[in-house]
Amino acid sequence: MNVTNPTARLPAKLHRRVCLVLTEDAVLAEELLARKKLASEVAGRLSEKVLLIRPGRLDAVLDELRKMGHTPQVVGK
Amino acid sequence: MPATPETDWSSRCRDALARYAEPLLRSVGDKLVRPRSKQPTDELLDKAAAMITNAPVIDRRIKEQPPASRKLLAFMGVSRQPRWKVGHLLTLLAALDHNDGFSPVQTLLETGLLFPELDPQHPPIDSFASWFGLAGTHNAVVFAHPGVAARARGEDFGLPNLASDDTHATPRAADGFEWPLRLAAVWQQVHADTMRLTQGNTLFKRDLVRLQSDAVLAAPPVDQLASIADAGVLALLWARAVGLLGERDGTLEASTFPTAWDGPLFALLAELFAAMPLVEPWDPLAGYSPPENGLSPTPTAGLLALLLARDFVHPTAVAEWLWSHHPSWAGVIPTTATDKGAGWVRGYLLGVAYPLGVLEVSGELVRLSTFGRHVLFGEKEPPAPPAFPQTLLVQPNAEVLAYRQGLTPALIAALSRFAAWKGIGPACTLELTPEQTYRGLESGLTLPMIVQTLNRHGTRPVPPGVADLLQRWASKRERITIFSSAVLVEFQTPAELDLAVSRGVVALRLTDRIGMTADGGEPSLSHLRLIGNRDYESKPQRCLTTSDDGVTLTVDTPQADLLLEAEIGLFAEPLPIDQNGGRKFRLTPTSLRRAIDSGRPLADIDGWFAERSGAPLSSAGRLLLLGAQMPPPLAVRLLVVKLPTVEIADGVAQWPGTRALVAERLGPLAVSVNEEHFEAFRDALRELGVNVVG
Repeated sequence: MNVTNPTARLPAKLHRRVCLVLTEDAVLAEELLARKKLASEVAGRLSEKVLLIRPGRLDAVLDELRKMGHTPQVVGK
Repeated sequence: MPATPETDWSSRCRDALARYAEPLLRSVGDKLVRPRSKQPTDELLDKAAAMITNAPVIDRRIKEQPPASRKLLAFMGVSRQPRWKVGHLLTLLAALDHNDGFSPVQTLLETGLLFPELDPQHPPIDSFASWFGLAGTHNAVVFAHPGVAARARGEDFGLPNLASDDTHATPRAADGFEWPLRLAAVWQQVHADTMRLTQGNTLFKRDLVRLQSDAVLAAPPVDQLASIADAGVLALLWARAVGLLGERDGTLEASTFPTAWDGPLFALLAELFAAMPLVEPWDPLAGYSPPENGLSPTPTAGLLALLLARDFVHPTAVAEWLWSHHPSWAGVIPTTATDKGAGWVRGYLLGVAYPLGVLEVSGELVRLSTFGRHVLFGEKEPPAPPAFPQTLLVQPNAEVLAYRQGLTPALIAALSRFAAWKGIGPACTLELTPEQTYRGLESGLTLPMIVQTLNRHGTRPVPPGVADLLQRWASKRERITIFSSAVLVEFQTPAELDLAVSRGVVALRLTDRIGMTADGGEPSLSHLRLIGNRDYESKPQRCLTTSDDGVTLTVDTPQADLLLEAEIGLFAEPLPIDQNGGRKFRLTPTSLRRAIDSGRPLADIDGWFAERSGAPLSSAGRLLLLGAQMPPPLAVRLLVVKLPTVEIADGVAQWPGTRALVAERLGPLAVSVNEEHFEAFRDALRELGVNVVG
């Protein structure tokens, strides 16, 4: 499409009700993935700082993060 | 029996009436509304609901009731609790020598001054007696409109005057903060770690011990006149009764502080007082004691004890009266106690009611305080205590001193959200900790709000070191953000994502093509043309095709979701993107082995393929994954005998003359025979007239 047209609607796909973990930096994301229990709840890594969580596993992820001593900010619970 | 959050009692009364079968509704309507003509049901319901708030009419209806029914309503009025178990009400009446059974309750139900509390699935009621018979004494709950119960408060209970002739000095009263503080502390405990309940709705031993040994909750109150058992458990049950804790799926969880905590102290204390009859499985002597028959004598004996203390009385005199009049209370007094329950009464009056501010004491004597007479009998409310807004002292070691006289319910609630209670005394101590700061921030507070609360109520500003600590703890929370239910917007090209960011459609870039609004919410759709819409809480969609070779996987891009993109890499290697932008992957022994090594068993892989492609892992995939683990294939020389029809082949495989000579059925028309058995096989068939050629 012509992206220079300021009025054009942008074709996009919506992914609703996605559970994500955003980390401050890539090293922190690596640290989380190194935790076996947490890694099993991660469906994949969207980018170096964004982890995609399996549906319905939010509480397990939160518990594990808190066990690791992290204090995650939860948006939209 | 947990507190009801419903406050619109007129609607509740109307809803209850609407659950009556029509003949019963008309019968109740005739007594309450007294219509001159037959009215449509809806009109009758509206009029009945309106009549319940008409004070002169209600006064007349109450006056028409028999004494036992009037007293029953009066008990509800003085307790300020509109919901009671029928069993408790009958116990109260029995203590006043009204042994008429269900009759006083039924009379009030039939007049529309009392209503049964019904399950949503309960069929329409056609008779109160049958409802009561089904619900049972221990479970049947009735409610009255608080306005109606309040109009009955003036009824004389006929209780004896137990006033002591002893001279008494100037009485003293508690400040009323003890129980709000303890309830806040137990709220904090549950907020930090929820409590599961057993199937019998009782506490697990672990939680019971936790409450019994907690340094704050188990400590004696500041102005202790009598000790009570399991004060922490009482705080928990009371917090639940007053709506500070809620139950969800058999687990006690911290609720948000009810609105009463935003108001003045006396209003909150009145709420706590009203919730006292809902606290059942507790006893001043035994502590936590879930009643075996479902009815604890604590609510009824406690209310009667308060009513007997209208003037200065000795707890022993109250105990003696209860001993001889209450139908079940004496049964909970330990057989070893020789004081006829005086210890129980002292514990309830001095350990529970006095710290609540309902009673005042003079030496050994107790009586209702001005506030107590206000809540029970509607007398004039005492003046509010003087305010001391600057009552906190934040110390450099992150401890906070809260001088009790300056506390308010709102400040107690605010502090409970971000500072851990360490001691409840004349000067309460709290501690600012990373965990508690985190919980405060998670509850919706911001760092400026926390600092502002400490500064506004502080005798001096928050020390810089503590402000730094709070800042550091708050920043730590910013390191990981979890979006529990975000909406991601996937664009086709990075340039389109750039454009979307510049238009403000999305604020955060997650990948080079995927973005999201700042709060993970729904983006403005006016700038978007939707080409796909996935819901990740729904079942995953099929978006993968396995080619005939069994190892090449083609992604249906418009149907694909992020989970597929993330997961397929576990099973397969990506192939170069084709000219049309289609994405393909290939199964390899290495990729499948990687999936197994990462903890996905074959059953999981099969399930994943079934969800995503409609069929389990292909045979070729199984060969790649399992081939090396199977016994080695065997190469043998066999003769293949092709038969003319399936029926003949079936016959050869079945007939005893040839069955033992067939090595294997190879297909519908073919069997294999070992070379050494072939002659015998041919001879056997020849006997049947079937000649094997070749």
